[in-house]
Amino acid sequence: MNTKCLHNVNSSKMAEVHIVGQIVGASGFPDHSLFCKWGINTGGAWKALAGLREGQTQVDTPQQHDAAYWAHPIDIHYATKGLQGWPKIHFQVWHQDSFGRNELYGYGFCHVPTTPGMHEIECPTWRPSGSFKEQVSQYFLGGGPQLKNPDLIYSGADRYRLHTIAMGSVHVRLGVILRNFDKYGIEC
Amino acid sequence: DEVPLMEDVDEEGYGFYAVRKAEYDDTPETAKKEAEKLYYPSVTSVNAEEKAKILHDKQPRFLEDEGFYVGTRPKISGWNVNKMENRLIKELHREKWFGEDGRMIVLPNPLRPTPSRPPIPEEQEPGLEVQYRKAIMHEFDSRYIDGSLDNAGYYQLDVDINSLSFSHHHLFSREHVLATRLSQLYEEYMDRQKKNMAEYLSEKLKALKLSAVHLKDHMAAKKSEHNYADRSNFQKRLQDYKDEIRRARALRDKEEKTDRLLLKAIIKTWKDIKQQREKQKFINTPLKLQVITEETNKEFDLTQWKLEIEDELEEMEEEATEIYNRKKTEYEEALKKHAEQVKAKEDARVRIHKRSRKQSTKGSRASLGSKASKHSAENEPNPEEEAKDQEILNEPEIEIPDKPEEFNKEQARKDIIAKAKEIRRRPGEPKLYPEVTSTQPITEASKCPRGEQQRRNDVSKCEMFLKVLFNNKEVSRTSSKPLTQEFKLNFGQIFSLKIVQWPESITYQVYETSGFGGEIICEINSSIPDSSVTSQSVQLENLDFSSDHRVNHGHEGVGSGVPFSFGAKNEGTETLYTTGELRCSVAWAINDQGELLVPPSTQEQGNMFYAMRKMDPVTAIGAAGVVDIQKLAKWFEDSRLDPNDPANADLVYMLKSKGGESALLGPKEFFRLEQLQEEFNFCDDEAIDENKRFRLIYLRDSEVTEFKNYKMIPLLDRDIPRDTFAEYEKKKREEEKYKEEKDIESHRAAVSKFMQRVREQVIRRFRLLAHQRRLEDVINEEAVPNIALLGTSVLKLTERRRPLRVERKERKKVVPQTIDNVKILININRAVYVPRRVAASRGGAMTAREPDKAVKNIVGETQVQPFIEVMFQDVFLHTEVGDGPNPSYNEELEMPFKAPNEDYTPGNLQTVTDNIYLNLFDQVLIDIQEDDRQRGTTVHQRIEKKWLGGLTIPFSTVYFNGKIDGTFKLNKPPVLLGYTQGPDEEEGTSLRSNEENTYLSVFMTIEPPLQPPEPMRERFATTEDEKLLQYADNWEKTLNAKFSDREYKTTVIDVNGKTVFVTRYFKALEPPPDIFGSSDTEVKKMEVVARYVSMIPSVSDSVVFPGLCDIWSTCDQFLQMMAGDEEEHAVLLANYFLYMKKITWLIIGKGIPEGPTAYVMTEQENDYWIWNAGTGEHFSYRDSYCPLQSISCLINAENIWANVQQYEKPAQMNFDLSQGASWRSFFTRSFPNTGIASYQPERLYYKPTNKNAVLDLQEKIETLLKNKIMEWRSRLITRWNRHCTQIMRKLLPVLEENLGHSPGEQHLAELESTFSAYKVSGFPINMPYNEINPIVDAVFSTRVHAHDTSDVEFALAVYIHPYPNDVLSVWVYVASLIRSR
Repeated sequence: MNTKCLHNVNSSKMAEVHIVGQIVGASGFPDHSLFCKWGINTGGAWKALAGLREGQTQVDTPQQHDAAYWAHPIDIHYATKGLQGWPKIHFQVWHQDSFGRNELYGYGFCHVPTTPGMHEIECPTWRPSGSFKEQVSQYFLGGGPQLKNPDLIYSGADRYRLHTIAMGSVHVRLGVILRNFDKYGIEC
Repeated sequence: DEVPLMEDVDEEGYGFYAVRKAEYDDTPETAKKEAEKLYYPSVTSVNAEEKAKILHDKQPRFLEDEGFYVGTRPKISGWNVNKMENRLIKELHREKWFGEDGRMIVLPNPLRPTPSRPPIPEEQEPGLEVQYRKAIMHEFDSRYIDGSLDNAGYYQLDVDINSLSFSHHHLFSREHVLATRLSQLYEEYMDRQKKNMAEYLSEKLKALKLSAVHLKDHMAAKKSEHNYADRSNFQKRLQDYKDEIRRARALRDKEEKTDRLLLKAIIKTWKDIKQQREKQKFINTPLKLQVITEETNKEFDLTQWKLEIEDELEEMEEEATEIYNRKKTEYEEALKKHAEQVKAKEDARVRIHKRSRKQSTKGSRASLGSKASKHSAENEPNPEEEAKDQEILNEPEIEIPDKPEEFNKEQARKDIIAKAKEIRRRPGEPKLYPEVTSTQPITEASKCPRGEQQRRNDVSKCEMFLKVLFNNKEVSRTSSKPLTQEFKLNFGQIFSLKIVQWPESITYQVYETSGFGGEIICEINSSIPDSSVTSQSVQLENLDFSSDHRVNHGHEGVGSGVPFSFGAKNEGTETLYTTGELRCSVAWAINDQGELLVPPSTQEQGNMFYAMRKMDPVTAIGAAGVVDIQKLAKWFEDSRLDPNDPANADLVYMLKSKGGESALLGPKEFFRLEQLQEEFNFCDDEAIDENKRFRLIYLRDSEVTEFKNYKMIPLLDRDIPRDTFAEYEKKKREEEKYKEEKDIESHRAAVSKFMQRVREQVIRRFRLLAHQRRLEDVINEEAVPNIALLGTSVLKLTERRRPLRVERKERKKVVPQTIDNVKILININRAVYVPRRVAASRGGAMTAREPDKAVKNIVGETQVQPFIEVMFQDVFLHTEVGDGPNPSYNEELEMPFKAPNEDYTPGNLQTVTDNIYLNLFDQVLIDIQEDDRQRGTTVHQRIEKKWLGGLTIPFSTVYFNGKIDGTFKLNKPPVLLGYTQGPDEEEGTSLRSNEENTYLSVFMTIEPPLQPPEPMRERFATTEDEKLLQYADNWEKTLNAKFSDREYKTTVIDVNGKTVFVTRYFKALEPPPDIFGSSDTEVKKMEVVARYVSMIPSVSDSVVFPGLCDIWSTCDQFLQMMAGDEEEHAVLLANYFLYMKKITWLIIGKGIPEGPTAYVMTEQENDYWIWNAGTGEHFSYRDSYCPLQSISCLINAENIWANVQQYEKPAQMNFDLSQGASWRSFFTRSFPNTGIASYQPERLYYKPTNKNAVLDLQEKIETLLKNKIMEWRSRLITRWNRHCTQIMRKLLPVLEENLGHSPGEQHLAELESTFSAYKVSGFPINMPYNEINPIVDAVFSTRVHAHDTSDVEFALAVYIHPYPNDVLSVWVYVASLIRSR
């Protein structure tokens, strides 16, 4: 991308981003009875015209335990007046155990690609590790440490202090349609 | 062997490494060099001389002594300091190392106040915290306090059940009943004695009197000294005193009376007990009454007595005189006014009489001259004057009040004495003090008669226990305790309930056991304790209970709920129910640590805030409560805090200004969130907000009504029409301005805006519910077929094939996406009793002109040539022309249907407001052959259509019902010039003589069938009793199982989206009082009321509240909105009838053409009348043409009766509601109506309609219609006949007076004779006023304008009859006149 400031453009042509795709599923988790909460976060320059900005998938209980499939649709249309705060999708993967209890399995986020076209995205996830005592009780009883403030998933604050464990990854397939960015001197 | 094997081994040994000594080059050389180069500063302090040199011989200055803050110097050993100073003094610029005090400059404290060691993993940064959460089952249920069952919280309720005592029990003997009564009375007596209100009030009275007397004396004495203000002030005070005295006296009298009655009752009851004991020959209760008498001085009493009476009398007289004087002046004024009015009226009458005489002479002269409809100006009486006179005459007569009566002293004295005798101790009568003790020995059981023995036996066998129910689940029960002979039980048990759900109810159930099994006596509800009520602070409370339990005993026990008597002497029987008191308490428990086990009322705030608080300097320095930073800055300045003091560092930091000048301390004025955003923006916010395409997309997404059905939105901005938002923006603007005007139309607009708001609110609520999907909404799971069904389907296979047998197949509903080309199929069968043209032979002016050209019947006379025209969405279709008054068509018309925005989803279709108009016309052929010579070869005719009647069916009706099938009555104008409907003289008996209406048989359906809207299954929020709703559900279910197609209604949804029990809608409400006018008979009055209700416009609920059906608004809301559908009309009418003391029910059933609807039924002598509230008509239940086709249930304020008869047509039904076989009532003996309060307002307020505004509107409509007619006939010239219009104007109010019925022959004859020279065809149309457009539509659909000739004149008159509350009845009389040649 190459930004050139050209302000002499016809004001009726706004930059638009249309994101169409799906959360395909997740793999690499210890167990694959999973569901996922997702949301799209943008900066202040963005305005969602249509579509849901957050949601939750169903619980997939796969027969073969190599991956969970949700095929959850994402369809959202943005208008923007700037590039800052390009949309990012964040996920919370939850596990439902055999007792029907839900526990957190991972947090993750990824940017929406900035090039138009179809994209296969693999979004790695992590979860906070917690103290030894918590790890022991997690092993036997389930549950686990969760972020008190889930904004941390996509905000870049001092995350280096967090101790985390890598979990599986979420697979996303997104089609990105850009419009009128060239009018503002942005070459895609 | 001495030669080493490997050559590389050196003298240090084998291997790759060697251990060597540490080397040190310790030579005298080194020491010398060191001494040369190194300098060791001395540890002795720097001598003063040197120091002085540094300070340039100035005196050292000590800042700290001058009051500056210098901070504490770090602690360093003296040697080190000296060493350093000695070293620095040798430096080149040595001055800069030393301060003004001559000492080395030292930082106050080089150590940071906070440790800065590297972070340890266990320590959490605020905002980065993680929290351990258990894996939990999420209960989608808000009943749990912590959201789930297995939570950590420990909450406990302590229920203390102390004792139970009965004030009546079925095992009471007669004596017990009396004894309880006595002890109750005595308790009350003691209570009153303690308060001693009578004494207190007497004292007060005395004091007041004294003050009043003092004041009077004072006023009399100082009369001359006071000015006017003072006097009035005193006067007022005196009046206050008097009022107070009066009040105190009344109160005292009341108290005394109660006291005396109580005393009497006690003595009487005691006598009864004694009697009872004597009669039954044993004693059952230990009660004993002793009356202590105190002798009094008769003389003294007598004087007191007299004084009292005189006092009161005097007061009364004073008051009465005041009232009398006031009334008298009023009366005299009224008399005077009345006389004036009578005279004015007389004058006016005389003036009118004179004028009319003058006019009649002139008028006759004029009529001789010409018969044109012109009026010369001189003939016109001065209308202003006339109107004024008329007004005077119409003034309501001033009522003359009754002549006030003078105070009758003797009568008053008698009254007072009588009253005193009743309430006061008579002079000389001893004072009585009763005293009840429990000292009476009870007769032993062995000495009692058999009945009593049995009773006592039963009492001792009887045991009781209590169950404690938490949220309607039994949680614990007390042990069983035997009933004592005093009918008291002591439990003294405390139950601790650990709870996980929010407490909703705590209920006690009292059980009685005798022998085996328990029987529930009653339920007592306890309140949930406040969170402040703990088991330490709680007090036992008494809960009264009673039970409707019926018990009868064969022995002495009086039973419960059954009548008994005290014996022959007390004739009346009594029925007592078991009652009593429970002493108990409920409180939140406290655990061993003294913590309160109450669930938290709200969730604790997130820890983010806690962390924030830590960073906030204001809270950190403890200056809590300081909110205004500006003020803080000022305070900082004022208090001269040292900005260098590290204790203030936080504050200084916060207040530090941008420029870094510490003198200008102030808060920062901005806060930046996204840096550099502004600089890199493509455009500003407005550009995005104003972009039409974006706006359209956004509005479509947020499901704004106007835009939600947009399928495609153009890609380019310029393809979007400029006016896309015009309407929407207009609506928005209107919503914003919202101001009240006098104009009726703007009032309607305001109401519709209000409605819009209500609608939006309801829809929002509804959408909230609609988005809460249940499993069934997402997953379509076919029910597992049960064995019986399986069996029948197997049997079906073996059934004989019968190809000729017709079976009805359900039409498949189509999915909205696949629909195109939707049609409405209208099958018109036939019409009956069509009006016939008035025969030419009768010589009337309004016959068809060329009867000989028309098709003739057997007698040779054309009766009528009717055909039906259907109009829908501006498309016209018509049937073939039939012949005669009973034509048969059997034609199917296919009417295309277009949904708005091509959206065929149920949500959208519900909002379709289009109507299907079916109009019956008579086709008249008019010969317009100019030249008689061509008659043999040419036909030149004009076709004219004469409107005979119409029927309007809203599309929503067809849509909701799927089909419409039946014979409908056509709406026919009350006056139809040129047509008659009476018996056919020629054919004689072929017609029923009393038939006045025309009927049309129609079948209508939509092809392909559209998906009907899903009914709301979701339960709305409610404030009704859960038990009632449950019972209602059950009741509906059991009835629906039997009669699946009948609609049984128990609950409806109100405008707030709440479920309300239906009987709440009934309450006697007063109709507007001034609508009755001259109507005198009961029936006539009812008709007037029905007409009033029918003139409130009808709008279907589905249109008002799309997506939800059946919202019932209360009568005041209905009158305010001025729109509602059948239920609202019917409920209002029913409530009016209730006010008129009629026995009234609301009928829920099916009618034509509305489908499911609501009617009103009233009981008349030997008949039931069914009222259609929407049209104001009424029918006898035997009338077979009654539009009500079936009755499902009847509702009134008391009950709901479901029709469980075989038939549902009113004529075939039995209306004896007490018959259980025909009617199943909702409230029964086992589930009685406990008095459900009405939901309706106390009364309705009607605002008078602005007459001028109505006249304006009338004018407006008339002008509009005239313009419209001219517009419709734009090819031709349209002439208006003024004279005809005038006559019509006069006729219309008469029609309104007749409630829309024909005004009778006389009026018609008048009309006919006036227009003998014309061929007139026309009729009045009547409709409620809602908007102007429907009126225009209605006129258009009658096709009066459709005369394709300029040879015609038109007449149009509009009359609006104003009813109160802006209910308007609009009459439009429209006619075409063709001059006869």
